Amino acid sequence: MTTPGKRPGTAESVTATPVVSLQHVRKVYGGAAGEKVALADITFEVARGEFACVVGPSGAGKTTLLRTLAGLAQPTSGEALFEGTPLRSVPPGIGVVFQDYGRSLYPWLSVARNVELPLRVRGVPKAERTARVTEVLTSVGLADAGRSYPWQLSGGMQQRVAIARSLAYRPDLLLMDEPFASVDAQTRFELEDLILRVRQEFGVTVVFVTHDIDEAVYLADRVIAISKSPGVVTEIVDITLPRPRDQITTKADPAFARYREHLLGLVMHR
Amino acid sequence: MRNFLTYGLRLAVLAAALGLWQGLSAAGVIRADEFPSMSQTATALWDLLTQSAFWSAVGETLEGWALGLVIGVAVALLIGTLIGLNGFAYRSAIGVIEFFKAIPVIAILPIGLVLWGATLTTKYALVAFAVFWPLVIQVCYGVRSLDPVVRDTTTVLQVKGLRKFFTVILPSAAPFIATGLRVAVAVALVVDIVCELFGAGSGIGERILLAENAGPTQYPQMYAYIVAAGLLGIFLAGAFTVAERYVLHWHESQRAAKDESQIRGYPERRRLTSVAQLSPGGTTPRTPRCRPARA
Amino acid sequence: MAGNLATRVWLFVVLFLVWWFWSAGSKSLYFPPLSQILKSVWDQWVTGTARAQLGTSLEHLLVGYVIAALVGIGVGALLWSLRYLRDATSPYLYFLYVLPAPVLVPAAMTLFGIGFTMKVVLIAFAAVWPTLLNTLDGMSGVDQVKLDTARVLGVSPAGRVLRVVLPAAAPQIVAGLRNSLQVAIILMVVSEWQASSDGIGFYISNAQQSFDYVGMWSAFIVLAIIGIIANLLFVAAENRALHWHYGARAVEGRIR
Repeated sequence: MTTPGKRPGTAESVTATPVVSLQHVRKVYGGAAGEKVALADITFEVARGEFACVVGPSGAGKTTLLRTLAGLAQPTSGEALFEGTPLRSVPPGIGVVFQDYGRSLYPWLSVARNVELPLRVRGVPKAERTARVTEVLTSVGLADAGRSYPWQLSGGMQQRVAIARSLAYRPDLLLMDEPFASVDAQTRFELEDLILRVRQEFGVTVVFVTHDIDEAVYLADRVIAISKSPGVVTEIVDITLPRPRDQITTKADPAFARYREHLLGLVMHR
Repeated sequence: MRNFLTYGLRLAVLAAALGLWQGLSAAGVIRADEFPSMSQTATALWDLLTQSAFWSAVGETLEGWALGLVIGVAVALLIGTLIGLNGFAYRSAIGVIEFFKAIPVIAILPIGLVLWGATLTTKYALVAFAVFWPLVIQVCYGVRSLDPVVRDTTTVLQVKGLRKFFTVILPSAAPFIATGLRVAVAVALVVDIVCELFGAGSGIGERILLAENAGPTQYPQMYAYIVAAGLLGIFLAGAFTVAERYVLHWHESQRAAKDESQIRGYPERRRLTSVAQLSPGGTTPRTPRCRPARA
Repeated sequence: MAGNLATRVWLFVVLFLVWWFWSAGSKSLYFPPLSQILKSVWDQWVTGTARAQLGTSLEHLLVGYVIAALVGIGVGALLWSLRYLRDATSPYLYFLYVLPAPVLVPAAMTLFGIGFTMKVVLIAFAAVWPTLLNTLDGMSGVDQVKLDTARVLGVSPAGRVLRVVLPAAAPQIVAGLRNSLQVAIILMVVSEWQASSDGIGFYISNAQQSFDYVGMWSAFIVLAIIGIIANLLFVAAENRALHWHYGARAVEGRIR
């Protein structure tokens, strides 16, 4: 049930370059109040097409980890590789969905323009832009919301817009930082299913940070458990629950409860 | 480490600016009969600080400032509260208040001169008038901005009447009022000095006028007084900020300012609103923030 | 809703009528009848000689304000991008912001005389600081999440300034511009008060010296109207350009 190291989530050749590779990543923040070690020693890899969840207690440096994976922050020591090359800045093949959609979506742009922005920046011609925006908004179930402004939509819908925006340019890797933590439980289930569906449709690799064990087990091919600060990888758990996952039947599976118990134990006792 | 560098740079900038000034004067680029040299002005400023005439001028300016401020604030608090607590009164009055707020402070100067001539009364009456309008709006907003959760909690706890006003409504409105007060403090000084410049009352503005009339020999004094006016403004604004921090230590805007810590998650977003954004024509209230302002 | 409109308007009407009737029979020099004041406004400012004075003043205001706005935003943005310069100069900028600009009138007169230049320079100098500091402040206060999002979406550094920082800072920049306008109007009048030969300020000063109280009241009305029109124009412009900001805040307010 537990194996640290490389394990592809799909039938991929073991020698394929992992999309993400972290080797002994360490991140330290200095400051007038003294040093804070957010991440002490993080090592794991994520293979192409895999859905990896990162769980850990609050204050475990999960956001720091995500920013490092995105290239938004550089590790103090150790290596962070994306598609085999070290991350020095944010590579074009990465998408990020932040927890606080209210701060991430641009209130001065309509939904369609928000989603269109990365395409404009990449010089995609207008006709194709419009087509892609429509496509991706339809995938997330917001086909008619293009002309609205983000703040006119509910929390769940706003997060869908954020997801649509990050998928518009077909990234290889999608990073999600507790994206469903700010929405209510019902909406969360809908969004979880949405992200699984969308992952199938677009074939994107996902690294999903969450504090919700149930969510992690439900979504993941593998769960990476991080300890409290200073953060290290406590354990990597393979989730072999059958796909496609379903909110009712998967969660009724006894194996689900066993995984849950195991991970909860890891997270709560550290 | 960064702090040393910053302070060093600031001193360097000041030194460079002053040096440039002196250099231009010495080289004759700045004509001596139009603009005094840096050394002359600095000397004049230094001398002033030791003269009682200077401090009495400061006192006179502060007198008009304080009187007008007290009157304006007191009336604004009273009326703002009364209007704010009553929905009908608020809807009736808000248009009129916004209307008067839009009148440039300077428009009232002729009226003041008509009514009271060039006296101290004109000064503090005008200061009070100028301070009243923006402040009364802020008081209204503050009083009306009671968080529904706080309001319901208060009802459940059976807190009513005057006690409710003093222990719940007023503290809840305090940040808004503080924002309004910060503007009031600055506006009061500007109006005060403008009045002096027009001969209504004595003080720093008056001295500037006298120095200018006395001719180039007094220009160093004139500029020294100008600098003093600016320093006075900074002092008052600074004193206010300190007082605000103390009184409102419990409010999030003050707490957040303290704990912008090193953790590079995303710090909880403060309501960042420039003080100058007091009701831009709409009725959406503005929550306060630490920024100096002037009307 | 007619009821709502009535509620908002009745006080205006009442106050106006009170002023009108209370001053109607007034023999006092200091409080001439409102009817007389309004007539004076019409005779002098709308159809008469003072109109030219008004025009001159507004001209100074416009030129000075536009300069202040452009310099304020431009320099504010520049300083924002040069962190060390910004840190080094900010206390001095603040000093100039807090300095009550009317005190510079005598100094300006010694430097620039009493013509067009003096007034425009004074107005521009005084009005630049609120815009500059608010631009600086607004740009510095942009949410890190928005900037990170922009980096992830592939927006170039220049693009980030144009597409993210400036729009996000826009509400605060506009607030600064508003404040600047208020300052500019004050300086417009003050700069014309002494030793000027035209403009509203000169008109008031003249009226004061010749005890023309009706004239002074009419000037008050005219300045009030200018301020109110300027305010309305600003509100209209804000509601158009910043509709997204007010919409978002309204939602926020309700959720809270």
